[in-house]
Amino acid sequence: MTALPPFEDLAIPHLGAAYNLAFWLIRSRPDAEDIVQDAYLRAFKAYAGFRGQDIRPWLLAIVRNVAYRWLSDRRRAGNVVSLDEALAPDAERAPFEVAAEDLNAEQELIRDAERGYVLRGLAELPAAFREVVVLRELEGLAYRDIAHVIGAPIGTVMSRLARGRNELRKVLTRLIDKDTPNAV
Amino acid sequence: MQCERARELVSAYVDGELPAGDRRAVETHMTDCRSCAALASDFRQVGQSLSATGREPLPPALETRVRASLAQARAADVHSPVPARAPRLGPILARPRSPLRAAAALVAVCVLSALATWFTVSRSDEATLQARDVLAGHVRALLQDSPITVAASDIHVVKPWFAGRLEFSPEVKDLAAEGFPLVGGRLDYIDGRRVAAIVYKRRLHVISVFIWPAAKADAAPRYATRNGYNLATWDRQGFSYWAVSDVSAAELAQLVGLL
Repeated sequence: MTALPPFEDLAIPHLGAAYNLAFWLIRSRPDAEDIVQDAYLRAFKAYAGFRGQDIRPWLLAIVRNVAYRWLSDRRRAGNVVSLDEALAPDAERAPFEVAAEDLNAEQELIRDAERGYVLRGLAELPAAFREVVVLRELEGLAYRDIAHVIGAPIGTVMSRLARGRNELRKVLTRLIDKDTPNAV
Repeated sequence: MQCERARELVSAYVDGELPAGDRRAVETHMTDCRSCAALASDFRQVGQSLSATGREPLPPALETRVRASLAQARAADVHSPVPARAPRLGPILARPRSPLRAAAALVAVCVLSALATWFTVSRSDEATLQARDVLAGHVRALLQDSPITVAASDIHVVKPWFAGRLEFSPEVKDLAAEGFPLVGGRLDYIDGRRVAAIVYKRRLHVISVFIWPAAKADAAPRYATRNGYNLATWDRQGFSYWAVSDVSAAELAQLVGLL
């Protein structure tokens, strides 16, 4: 049996993925930081039992567990953070304020607006769909790895992802229609 | 391929996660079905927007923070003594024994454990379950606006009230002179039967006394404390009594003596 490399060497490179998942599950930046720290500690303590090729799904599964435990604790405490607050910096961007000078700038703005919508739409998805969309679209995980992270069969990953994308599509249509009532 | 089925698979198709057979079927279907083709293109576009947006940016201080907490955990790990293995048990268990002796020991352990379980369950069951019911009844009554259904300090009002509601007549005493004024009574449900609950007061403390008939020999009061409440139980002349309150054990004992 070969000795495992130091935990930090394998795990720290995935800090970005861990934080991203925590943020999208909790939708609060300071809380996501706490969750990542807690999850890394737990992963470190469980590291001796890690048997696998790829540490990322294993690590993300721990992040997810910690995030959900934290969510249920908070729900029990009856203290709910609002979505708007969590996404405030994105909302502040106000995409249509600047007058477009040329075509490129205008396209840039449209793309910015679109991103704003996509993020909002993602934030509005139910957690079960949000997490698979994040793991697929932002982390580029294969279905097999997503299944590992969420502890469900690949078929579930497949159907949740399909539903999540459909929901996202609906939400986006609604958001875009609402925000641009005079659009053609 | 049916459109409905294809729509379910388009998402996995876009991700290149379909087995070859399904992939070809979806592809063929999309050449005919514009709505499924549009779905695939929408999914791709949403995916592109998302990946263009990228991850939520990692706060710069987080790595330092995580590394520090890991280093701390590592240090604590090194300094904590390695938990000693249970000593001596190993050699004893490993000592060779004849199979017959081992089997006999196993049977003995099983019989003992079954007996102990039966004994504990049958013994503790009644008393602890009753104590739990009694305490729950008392606390539940306190949670209501009033712990009593009939309010009267006169035993000649309280006692007849139970007639027709119970198949027995509970003992109600006027102990106002001793500092336990009668407040009233109510019905409660303990251990699967309707019982009388007589409520007395001690200053501001409420005391519930539960009474029901039981074919038991007389027994002296036994005291217990549960969740900060004092409980007393005794049997007398074919009745089981339980008294529960948050008064001190001494005051509860005084009441028990008066009853």
